[in-house]
Amino acid sequence: MMGLLSHAVVDAPLFADAVGRFFQPDTLARILIEGLGKAAIYFIIAIGLTLVFGLMGILNFAHGAFAMVGAYLGGILMVVALSSTSGAFTRIVFFIVVVAVIFALMTAVGSALEIGLVRPIYDRTPMYQILLTFGVGLILEELARIIASSQGIQPEPTWTAARDTIPGFLSAPSEIIQGLFGTNIRGFYMFAIAAGILLAGAVWLFLNRTLYGLYIRAGSEDPEMVEALGVDVRKAFTVVFGLGTGLAAVGGVFLMWDPNWGPSVMLNLDVLLYAFVVVVIGGLGSFKGTLIAAVIVGIADSFTTWLFNTGIVAFSGLPEVTIFLLLVIALIVRPQGLYGVEEVGGH
Amino acid sequence: MAISPVDDPVSDGGADASAETEPVTDKRETRKGVSADGDEQQDRTRDGADRHWVGQYLRDHLSHIAVVAFFVLYPGLSAALAGIPALDIGIATVDPGAFFDAFLPSMPFMIAMLFLGLFAMSFDFISGYTGYLSFGHAAFYGIGAYFVVMAANGLIPGIPQGTPFVLTMVIGATIAFLVALAIGAVSFRLTGVYFAMITLGFAQVMYELIRSWGYAATNPTEGPSFAGEAPTPEIGVPFVDSLSVAIGRLGGDSFDNLLGLGIDLSSTVTSYYAIGLVVLLSYFAMQRVIHSPFGQVMIAIRENEERAEAIGYNVFWYKMGAFGISAFFAAIAGALFAAFRGSASPDDTFYFLVTADALIVTIIGGIGTLAGPFFGSFFFESLEDILSSQQGGLAPYLRETLPDGLLGADVAGITFLDVINTAVDGRAPLYLGVIFVLFVLFVPNGILGTVRDRLGGTVANRLPAHLERYRR
Amino acid sequence: MSLLELEDVHTYYGESHILQGVDMTVEEGSVVALIGRNGVGKTTTLRTVLQLTPPREGTVTYRGEDVTGEPTHEVADRGIGWVPEDRRMFGYLTVEENLRVSVGPDQDFEAVRDDMFDLFPDLERFREKEARNLSGGQQQMLAIARGMVGDNDLLLVDEPSEGLAPLIVEQVVEALREASAETTMVLVEQNFPLAMDLADQFYLLDHGTVVESGSTEGVTAEDEMIRRYLSA
Repeated sequence: MMGLLSHAVVDAPLFADAVGRFFQPDTLARILIEGLGKAAIYFIIAIGLTLVFGLMGILNFAHGAFAMVGAYLGGILMVVALSSTSGAFTRIVFFIVVVAVIFALMTAVGSALEIGLVRPIYDRTPMYQILLTFGVGLILEELARIIASSQGIQPEPTWTAARDTIPGFLSAPSEIIQGLFGTNIRGFYMFAIAAGILLAGAVWLFLNRTLYGLYIRAGSEDPEMVEALGVDVRKAFTVVFGLGTGLAAVGGVFLMWDPNWGPSVMLNLDVLLYAFVVVVIGGLGSFKGTLIAAVIVGIADSFTTWLFNTGIVAFSGLPEVTIFLLLVIALIVRPQGLYGVEEVGGH
Repeated sequence: MAISPVDDPVSDGGADASAETEPVTDKRETRKGVSADGDEQQDRTRDGADRHWVGQYLRDHLSHIAVVAFFVLYPGLSAALAGIPALDIGIATVDPGAFFDAFLPSMPFMIAMLFLGLFAMSFDFISGYTGYLSFGHAAFYGIGAYFVVMAANGLIPGIPQGTPFVLTMVIGATIAFLVALAIGAVSFRLTGVYFAMITLGFAQVMYELIRSWGYAATNPTEGPSFAGEAPTPEIGVPFVDSLSVAIGRLGGDSFDNLLGLGIDLSSTVTSYYAIGLVVLLSYFAMQRVIHSPFGQVMIAIRENEERAEAIGYNVFWYKMGAFGISAFFAAIAGALFAAFRGSASPDDTFYFLVTADALIVTIIGGIGTLAGPFFGSFFFESLEDILSSQQGGLAPYLRETLPDGLLGADVAGITFLDVINTAVDGRAPLYLGVIFVLFVLFVPNGILGTVRDRLGGTVANRLPAHLERYRR
Repeated sequence: MSLLELEDVHTYYGESHILQGVDMTVEEGSVVALIGRNGVGKTTTLRTVLQLTPPREGTVTYRGEDVTGEPTHEVADRGIGWVPEDRRMFGYLTVEENLRVSVGPDQDFEAVRDDMFDLFPDLERFREKEARNLSGGQQQMLAIARGMVGDNDLLLVDEPSEGLAPLIVEQVVEALREASAETTMVLVEQNFPLAMDLADQFYLLDHGTVVESGSTEGVTAEDEMIRRYLSA
């Protein structure tokens, strides 16, 4: 039976060599910084999902589709607004504007969806909320496919024209990192780290420094009690579902520039699955857990990618397998996640 | 005198007596599905002297017989209808044959319905009856599919290349059973969303591994196939050639002038019957389990697991057993799929979307009703056929039959032809998504479940709660 | 005009008919005890007042206005506070944040909070502590305080002494007595002497209906009627 697995097995001399290479400063810096860049992306795509589950107990299966819509809409705005001669500064400014516009737009769309579709089925079992949001995701994916192909854009693979609106200094290796650690890391990852920190800070402030954030945190524990204290929890549900949708779409705008993703209809399921992994490992509904899980998954991703790229492991699916294995192991070892409430799921 | 089937005291065999006390049993649902005809016939025979067990058995299975008869007659019927010649009635040509061709599902879709239907029934067996959503069900489908193809290529150690398909199919299904026990051993400590996530996680791990597994196929993302040395899969009694038929899109057996009856069977129709037989046997096997005391415990777990445990059932092993059985039949479905298509690829077997298909048809057909997913699958494949871009789809039919003037008719720069091309041609997934959402919102019990509710009178009980929900 | 009136209230959980025609009147400034065995519908009565489980028949009137079928948060905003069974703290929120949820955005939170800290000095000491780290008695204090803040005139208190040590119960009773000086109260309590001690009126429930009511004056556990409906 060993023959069946032969190419996943590591040669002994290679292994010793790999350990040696791993402990070189440039390698460690590379794995760590690229890992944090990926972690930032994972956090951005997962945080909306965790907010929605935390308050409403709904595992939103349309989350990936919202990100996909964000990626395409962002792509359209960028492609229309920019010309090939636009400078790097213009591109960054436009990107920030696009993020704001899409966040506002998709927050409104998400709120409308909550009122129109999700609200009528709150008192059914959680399965129906999963099914409904999954159906919404399917419809959005097909609409994106139809619209993209009617415009002569291939829905699969990535829409490169949109991805190429990234300024040159972000798609090229970062010079600062090159100078400091002597290793090549795309400028995009530095950009993602900065954006991830900003976003995490903003969400944290919203949750901990606003009255609405307080209602959301209280509602995550016991929505009925919050309602009985005079807070309109239904309205909070609408707002949070809207925010979750907006955050998913913002994640999509970032993926538009991400060298490993880019706008395509495949984002629907890919984002959904990876966001699930992060959110489940961190503990469904926990802000802190999502943050830490994103870092774990990001670094695992960059480490296994490095293992494959250097030829130490000749198995191309290693990062993906590792990430889903993390999900399975996390659920076996600690079902409530790193920071989940013990009896969560009993919503 | 009208005897409602609900009051029928002898509708189930003695061994199934406990099934009668449970409101959610499948056989009764299907029987109600046959509407007034069934009842009428039942009444007539009841009044007669014939109480022989054979007659009784046939009466009990009337709905099954009707459904099976429909699907047995379907190939001939649809071929006859599609074969109606075009007629020139002066002002225009009327071509009913082309109309039926466009709207009746063609054989490849009917065959897809069979294995999707079986897969969805197996999904419903665990998800609908015990309430544990198996989001990684595609893994078992994939194991069944990969096992038979790899065995046919001599890639499974200990299984010689010429081993009959029926045997490798059962061995593969047994392996799926064991894998399910292994997954279940760690997963059944979790419930709800968490169970769904861990089974999804396991399936995705397998999917990613298979995609890179160079041993199974030279191009692992394409997957292995029944090419070259691999024997054509046959369904029948192993080692008896005269009682076996080869199945497959390309290499299946065809029969001219069958038994001297003047009936010709093409290779697709032959495959349809052979695969249909396996699906039918699998259905009866699962139905047997549902109606046995074991099945009643499954339902008890869904309704209230703590109570089932308090009564003294070891619910863990019941869940394990149900999961194993459902994986077994999922693998059978996968094997049939691979055999007919002649290959297996990771994206068509192990991927999450395969489970999603089963989920969709289960909801449309009726979750928690064993036959429901099968009807959901029929609905699904009919829609796929009608909206298909191929010959026999609605879009080519409209393009050919509608007059050019209408097709070219132009509203704000968009012609009717454009509408057909973008909104009809190959758009099954879009409409399926819309229909699925509408079912979730308005028909949560699915086709069969709703029919059961209507005829079972439980609507009366549910109505007040229903109204109250909207009043708030 | 009475503060709260229930008129022929019928409430269901799914298909189970829990309240089968409850009539009840609560006067402003009084403390009313709901007594009866487990499962007769005492908690459901409180939930029905708040419209958490709205009645299928009958009306709930607060300050002369029919609130039947109104969303719970609006009923609560009219000035009804709830101290539920098992206290239901927001365990991951601090003491102060627990109070904050109950205070509307238009009210002066600091002032309201300081009033509560005067009433329950213990809470001030633990204001930054997460509620799950408090002792049972402290949690009960917090639950009572949380029910009182937000300009509430009616406090629905469910089993405040349950699961607490006798010494702690005494403190809770003291807290309730102080609270009752400021607000009207409906009290569900298994501990019969305690209920009679705190309340001026009582309603005795059995099988979802009121079987007896009146002043608590002179009612003892030895009364024939009480023994019939309370002893197991």
